[in-house]
Amino acid sequence: MNNKETNLKRRSFLLAAGVGSAGAVAVVATAVTGKEVAKPVVVSAEEKSGSYEQTAHVSNYYRTARV
Amino acid sequence: MARMKFLSDAERCIECNGCVTACKNEHELPWGVNRRRVVTINDGVPGEKSISVSCMHCSDAPCMAVCPTNCFYKTEDGVVLHNKDACIGCGYCLFACPFGAPQFPSGPAAFGARGKMDKCTFCSGGPEENNSKEEFEKYGRNRISEGKLPACAEMCATKALLAGDAPVISDIFRDRALRRGKAGDAAWGWTTAYGKPEQAQERTQERAREQNREGQK
Repeated sequence: MNNKETNLKRRSFLLAAGVGSAGAVAVVATAVTGKEVAKPVVVSAEEKSGSYEQTAHVSNYYRTARV
Repeated sequence: MARMKFLSDAERCIECNGCVTACKNEHELPWGVNRRRVVTINDGVPGEKSISVSCMHCSDAPCMAVCPTNCFYKTEDGVVLHNKDACIGCGYCLFACPFGAPQFPSGPAAFGARGKMDKCTFCSGGPEENNSKEEFEKYGRNRISEGKLPACAEMCATKALLAGDAPVISDIFRDRALRRGKAGDAAWGWTTAYGKPEQAQERTQERAREQNREGQK
């Protein structure tokens, strides 16, 4: 009899834990999907920076190509 | 202002396809899209020559001339790029390109059903913000903005594929040609590809003497 009671307690605990975690997942999912998706920023060719520069990395490549 | 160019040294290319693999890996390209490939002439015959081919970023690019939506543009470094949002996948650029550079992810299909054209960007991305997720998904990695050169050329084991500022890489190639000396049918093999260091020094000294003489005149 005592064993039966223990088993029931354990089951109710597991059930409560399951419901709780499912709820947490739902909250997180809502928060994620609720965010606005960032639109791609299109920059015109004239405005765009980040063109070629002879950095140390590039100079090192030129040096190895001279071998 | 720099002028970006590729230069493939046929004497050094060993057809390893390292450049092809580096490109595919760097930009995470889908199956069927090869922005770069190695072409071998007289395959299997002694003296065969291989060169690595992709978009050559032409100074007067025929793809730009034929595009009906005008989606191509040229950067200040002379790199020919295109805007995938404007591309309708008509395939005119493929017919115009002498190097077969434009690639279509959906393969050969009916007019307009090939998907957006894809090609070598000289690792310069596209019109989107530098190193953004959108830019990577559409055009691949933007190594130029990171202060690097295209992955294919940097990966090349024999430095057969040269990439960079045109005056610099043409100077490198000129030095190699001088080191090799006379060309011809017999000019093939290790010494031709890499030359002898003594020969290179002699050539360099000779050139310096010539320049001095010209300067004195």
